[in-house]
Order: sequence, then C-alpha cells, then structure tokens
Amino acid sequence: MAGRGKLIAVIGDEDTCTGFLLGGVGELNKNRKPNFLVVEKDTSITEIEETFKSFLARDDIGIILINQFIAEMIRHAIDGHMLSIPAVLEIPSKEHPYDASKDSILRRAKGMFSAEDFR
Amino acid sequence: MKDDVSLRLDGCLLRFMDQLESLEEKRQRFNSLIEQGWFSISKARYAMGNKQVSALQYGSEIQPQVRVCVRELTGGVTEFQAEREETQGSEDPKTKDDVEDCGPMEGGLRRRTTAKTKNPQEEPVPVKECVSKDDVRLESKGLQRHQDPLKWFGILVPQSLKQAQVAFRQVIELSAEIAALQGAVISTREELHNLLEEKRRQSH
Repeated sequence: MAGRGKLIAVIGDEDTCTGFLLGGVGELNKNRKPNFLVVEKDTSITEIEETFKSFLARDDIGIILINQFIAEMIRHAIDGHMLSIPAVLEIPSKEHPYDASKDSILRRAKGMFSAEDFR
Repeated sequence: MKDDVSLRLDGCLLRFMDQLESLEEKRQRFNSLIEQGWFSISKARYAMGNKQVSALQYGSEIQPQVRVCVRELTGGVTEFQAEREETQGSEDPKTKDDVEDCGPMEGGLRRRTTAKTKNPQEEPVPVKECVSKDDVRLESKGLQRHQDPLKWFGILVPQSLKQAQVAFRQVIELSAEIAALQGAVISTREELHNLLEEKRRQSH
C-alpha cells in the first residue's frame, strides 16, 4: 500500500462527494469501509467527528478534504490535528463559500504576526 | 552575527509571503473549478432528473483512480503529488473494446471508425470465436464499469456530467498542490518562529 500512494478522503455534502468520486478518489476497502462521508441534514456531529478521527487514524489516507461548514462543527478536532500527514484541506460548499479567516492553517499562519512574536 | 540572523529572518519572511501568495492564487483557482464542477453536476441533474445524480447511484464496488504520493523532504516539508492510475489503463487495448460496446463516450467518433474497420476483419472468423471474444468484452466491460464512476449514472450520460468529471479531476490535482503548500507554510512559519527566538536571545 505504501508503494502505491495514499488515498484522498472526503467529508462533504452530496454534491461535493459526488464530484470528487466522479474524479476518482473513492474507495471501498475489503472491509467495505469507504473513504468518504456524505453529510446530510440528519448526520450527527458525533458521526462526523468519529469519521474524521477514523480517517486520521488510517495510514492509507494522505489528504482529507472537508467542507468548511462541516469543519466548523468539529473545529476542536481539526485544530487538534498537528501532523502533516494526513493533510486537512478545508474546501467551500455550494451554500457556504470559502472563508480564509476560518481556515485552521491560515489562522495558524496569521498567529505568526501577533504582537507577542515581535516583542 | 546578529545581522546574519536578521538577514535569514528577512529571507524566511519573504519566502513565507511568497508561499502565502501562491496559496491564495491556488485557492482561487480551486474555488472557481469546484464551482464549475457543481454547476455541471446541477446541469446534469436537470437533464437526467432530480434523483438520477445522487449518492444512491454510487457503485457497490469503488476503486480509487487517483492516489497521492507523499514524500517527506528535508526540513519537515511534505510533498504531495496526485497520480492517476487510469492513464495506464487507457493505453490498454481492452479499453478500446469497452468503448466499442458503450458507443458514445469521449472521443467516440474516432473509436467508432475503429469498430467499423474491425468488423470486416472479424467476418471470416468462425462463430464460436466471436462468442468467446464477446465474453471477454463483457468481462472487460464489467471491470470498466467498476473503474469509471461516470457509469454509475448510466451509459448515456449527458455531456455536463463529463464536464463535471473533468473539472473535479483538476480540482483533485490542485488539492494535492494546496496540501503541499499548506505544509510548506507551516514549516516556514516554524522556521520563522525559531529565527525570531534566536534574534531575541541575541539581543538580550
């Protein structure tokens, strides 16, 4: 598996998941576990968080794409992930455009320029 | 000594700014491409019917066509590169047979002519052999069905769904580039932080 490269996982609304699966990122492994989660109105935050954590724990996943409005629901879990692999990318959704000020990576980068650093 | 640290700090800060600028550009391209993809999906849904393009149509067997090669470079920087497995398969003669069976696919016109040229060659072949070839074709068709996610939504899918697929393929490649850049931004930020600390220690 390591020689073949890693997978891209997706947590998003139906259209986002459909698009990325059309692009060819989807996988159902031998245990029938998918590398994507379609978040619908009735999907609980616990389920989203558990799926996100299970993706973090999988060593065959290199990038996790997550709609920003879903990332907002599990912000604490995303902020707690400090490793470079898997990389977490916050992406826009149809109803919620991308807001750079909410992105955990850019917020970390912005934190560089606080008054404390230049004292 | 202090000037040396200041110079390194300046260089690091400039690199950091460049990386942020590049990240911003890639993000804009990513956002416009993904919007294009959603728009094409919506058009396909309008053409095919509301329930024809949804999660219910996902295949029962899903195999990845794209993987990311992850390499850890020196300095804690991680490089991500999207690699499409499909390109190897497209050179395979099996795929030609698949397209013959399915008819209108991308570049169908060119392939239809190959089908016509093949038919006269197959005429003198005994019937038994033809049947066995058809079986092979069906098998390869079955494999292709698993591989090409477009076929989850039907054989004759609208052009807009194919456009959506193209847009999302570009989005996937960009997402690998953005992931690599994000890693580089975080790494440069760490370096910048360390240099600031060093400068502070020297000034005291």
